[in-house]
Amino acid sequence: MSSAAVSTLTVSRKISLWKWVKRIASNYVVRMLARALFTIWFVTTLIFFLVRLMPSNPIEVYINELIVQYSLPYEQARDQAASLFAIDLNAPLSKQYVDYMVQLLHGNLGESLRSPGTSVWKIIITFLPWTIFSVGLGLLISFLLGVLIGMLLAYRRQALWEPIVSGIASILSSIPNYIIGIVLLVYLGVYWGIIPINQMRGSRSPGIQPGFTWVFIKDIFFHAAMPVFTYVLSTIGSWILSMKSSTIGTLGEDYVTVARARGLSEGRITTAYVGRNAMLPLITQLLISIGFVVGGSILIENIFVYQGIGYRLSAALTTRDYPLMQGIFLIITISVVLSNLIADFVYGWFDPRVRVAGGEG
Amino acid sequence: MKKPQTTQQMGTQVPLTVEDLWVEYQIERGVVKAVRGVSFNLAKGESLALIGESGCGKTTLGVALIRLLVKAARIPKGEITYWRDNQGLDVLSLKESELRRFRWRECAMVFQSALNAFNPVLRIWDQILDTSKAHGGMSRHQVRERAMQLLEYVQLDPRRVIDAYPHELSGGMRQRVLLAMSLLLDPQILILDEPTTALDILTQRTIIDLLRRLKEEMGFAMLFISHDLATAAELADRVATMYAGSIVEMGPVEDIFYRPAHPYTLGLIRAVPTVTGDFENLASIPGAPPDLVDPPPGCKFHPRCPYVTEQCRVKEPQLETHYSETHSVACFNVKRVQQDTLDLQERYAKYAGGKAQ
Amino acid sequence: MTPQALMPKTGIRYWPGRVLRGIGRFLKLMSRNKTGFVGFLIFIGFVLMTTVGTLFVPEVTSADINAIYAPPTWEHPLGNDSQGKDILSQIVHGGRDILEMALLTGLISTFIGVALGSLSALVGGGFDAFLAMLADIWLTIPQFPLLAVLATLIKLDNTLLLALLLSVLSWAGLYRSIRAQVYSLKERDYIEAATALDLGMWHIIFSEVLPNMLSYIAISFTFGMTSAIYAQVGLVFLGLVPLTRNWGVMINLAWTQGAIFFKDSVYFIMAPVTAIALFQLSIVWMSRSLEEIFNPRLRTG
Repeated sequence: MSSAAVSTLTVSRKISLWKWVKRIASNYVVRMLARALFTIWFVTTLIFFLVRLMPSNPIEVYINELIVQYSLPYEQARDQAASLFAIDLNAPLSKQYVDYMVQLLHGNLGESLRSPGTSVWKIIITFLPWTIFSVGLGLLISFLLGVLIGMLLAYRRQALWEPIVSGIASILSSIPNYIIGIVLLVYLGVYWGIIPINQMRGSRSPGIQPGFTWVFIKDIFFHAAMPVFTYVLSTIGSWILSMKSSTIGTLGEDYVTVARARGLSEGRITTAYVGRNAMLPLITQLLISIGFVVGGSILIENIFVYQGIGYRLSAALTTRDYPLMQGIFLIITISVVLSNLIADFVYGWFDPRVRVAGGEG
Repeated sequence: MKKPQTTQQMGTQVPLTVEDLWVEYQIERGVVKAVRGVSFNLAKGESLALIGESGCGKTTLGVALIRLLVKAARIPKGEITYWRDNQGLDVLSLKESELRRFRWRECAMVFQSALNAFNPVLRIWDQILDTSKAHGGMSRHQVRERAMQLLEYVQLDPRRVIDAYPHELSGGMRQRVLLAMSLLLDPQILILDEPTTALDILTQRTIIDLLRRLKEEMGFAMLFISHDLATAAELADRVATMYAGSIVEMGPVEDIFYRPAHPYTLGLIRAVPTVTGDFENLASIPGAPPDLVDPPPGCKFHPRCPYVTEQCRVKEPQLETHYSETHSVACFNVKRVQQDTLDLQERYAKYAGGKAQ
Repeated sequence: MTPQALMPKTGIRYWPGRVLRGIGRFLKLMSRNKTGFVGFLIFIGFVLMTTVGTLFVPEVTSADINAIYAPPTWEHPLGNDSQGKDILSQIVHGGRDILEMALLTGLISTFIGVALGSLSALVGGGFDAFLAMLADIWLTIPQFPLLAVLATLIKLDNTLLLALLLSVLSWAGLYRSIRAQVYSLKERDYIEAATALDLGMWHIIFSEVLPNMLSYIAISFTFGMTSAIYAQVGLVFLGLVPLTRNWGVMINLAWTQGAIFFKDSVYFIMAPVTAIALFQLSIVWMSRSLEEIFNPRLRTG
């Protein structure tokens, strides 16, 4: 009798444990985190093997370069290359891979080829914040403005200016962001000379101490203005158009009619009933947009000589600074994945339906 | 001056009078006359069913009563008056802000698609609170208390439902929540637009039973819009048949079902199969409802009517009383229709027999 | 005569007819949306310019030191560049590269998207789940930086290679939408009937699914083109792709030679910039018409 009781007990514990595991696995937050981690792992692995297995293996190229330029003996060149790439070239590929991952977990991304002695990590730390700042600010402004304008267009579909605004939005959304950047630079900066583009170069003016001072804050906004403006112009069109159609769709929903029948004020209906629901599809779109805009920062920062991570990456690309390139790409991916994660949570906060999605059954 | 007299004539309180109401939509092709000169009263505690095929203007009429028509629609003519303590409220002359306060407090409307009646991103409680806040007068605590009571009344577990999101509730539950919410401000009139159509048959049953209980216990007037005659028969005191935007027949529920005087009502009844599966007398009405942009001359039903005469093609019949003071019909050939309604008795007898087995 | 024996034959016989009818309907519907039709016309204009146009505008190879940054004249409607070469001629001749690569990428990426997407949806099971997950992850990787890094590892010196790479990188978006589309088509009766008759997967894909997605495939195609143009010009601008003189290279030249900072060079830089912007715009607008064909619910708008 007792053994039977015990076995039922263990069985029930097993079941409850299994249930518990299942509940965790189906939890929205856990799933999101797992996906983010998996993505980061996937990209690091992809990069590792790409760099090593490409026909023109950059490590070999660099070793040859050292031999030719500095007439180093092969062994020495190889050692130097290995230390810069933070890997042991003598080990088998699988060992190299494990080492590389371990190094990464310790935050070691190797050293720059072109400025020896500087760790890739340190370069990233100096340049990345500016990109996060300018891209984040640009996307925030364009998203908020776009949502507002889009809603306004949906509410004022009969207005004479509606097709004009929609037309501008449609044009802005189709033109590549760097084209917008170049046009801004050429006209505002050069042709009409309204904007002091030369002074605006860089991410901040030399000699100004960083800190929470008005001078510093004003300065960083001054330098970020043109990239931010470009990000706003190049993304706002699609926000406007999506928000417009999404709002029109939401206005036709039954719950909006019912809310009117319930006598709710137009303000409450517009914000909590129409606005909030119409915004949902845009948050998903924001996810894709973050990656796209960060990718575009390579070009935009180059155009305005804004010293963010994109600017540094393009420099690393043209000088074939592989460890730096690899590190920056990894960091860009991680930031995009993380911002996606944040956006996912924001979405979950906005839409209760996804919080349980997949949780049942 | 005319309406208070009607009130006195009926000897009861009349919370709603509608007088010669017209509703038009502007579409590309022209003007759709969706409601054409509808007049009726709704007495206190009474339940009036509006029946007819889809597209006959019954939903438009329902929505017009709380002036919730789409932008393209307008009311060129007519009067809608709500009465409370002998004070008339002319709905068509209300300003936007007055209208907002009027809605739901005087007249609540339960819509067809309860599935989508709630904002998916707000909890039921927030939506109930929204409703109450929009009208004021109750503290948060009072609202909570009342909401719990009402949810309990519609046979839901208030604790589970009130903090739920709409997607966590089934269609039937949502419909009941909406019913509970419609009672929140204690309106005099409840408009129910096909409240059971989107539900499965068992849930329909519970909702109908609930509505019956509500009607008996709460004592408000109900305007019940349906194309389902069985439901109408069960819930209504009076029935009005609508065709092409007009009421063509109106009378006590027994009169309408046992002695319909309009060919269209008769057609509708004939089109309902009995539970016994007796199809021999089952007949659908040939043709389709008329184009309301360019309706036929004379009686709007004449192209589909088996009793049609020359007169029907030129002149539109008006509602006139028939059988009794309370039963009116708009048809020139009432006598001939009447002949044909005799078999209905037999049919019902069969139905009752089938039910008994 | 069993239905199994009959079905494939009729299916094959009717397939071209359905496609032709589809194209006829496509052109008719195309003109319904004004913006879309304007885009379509501009696009055709670009195609004509880069093909037939090159016959009329001679390619300028020699520099003219006396005409550096010369303003527009009748002879040189768009003025001259930093070396005194005619800009119009460069625009006419510099579009072919872009157009070819865009069309090629559109073709290859649509093929990959359609093949993977419909396979995934029709096969289902673990294969489908795996691909769907991979696509989800792939979509979060920033495409352009990855492409730029790859461009330093692979020598992208020919159009086909670049188009192939661009297509492979952009597989996930198209795959996902095609998969969703096939899933919804799968529910429809005729696919179910074909599956019940055991007509074979390729038959189902090519004679049942594809014709029904024709217009949708066209949209995917335009999307592939716009992202290809974006990526190619971006790479050229960064100097990562050695290609012959095209619009992207013109911008790059104007940039690296500092011409971008001289007022006189405004035609030099704006000509290719306008060409690229207008070309992109024409494709996006054209897709508006295509979308309307794809989604009949939009037709009234």
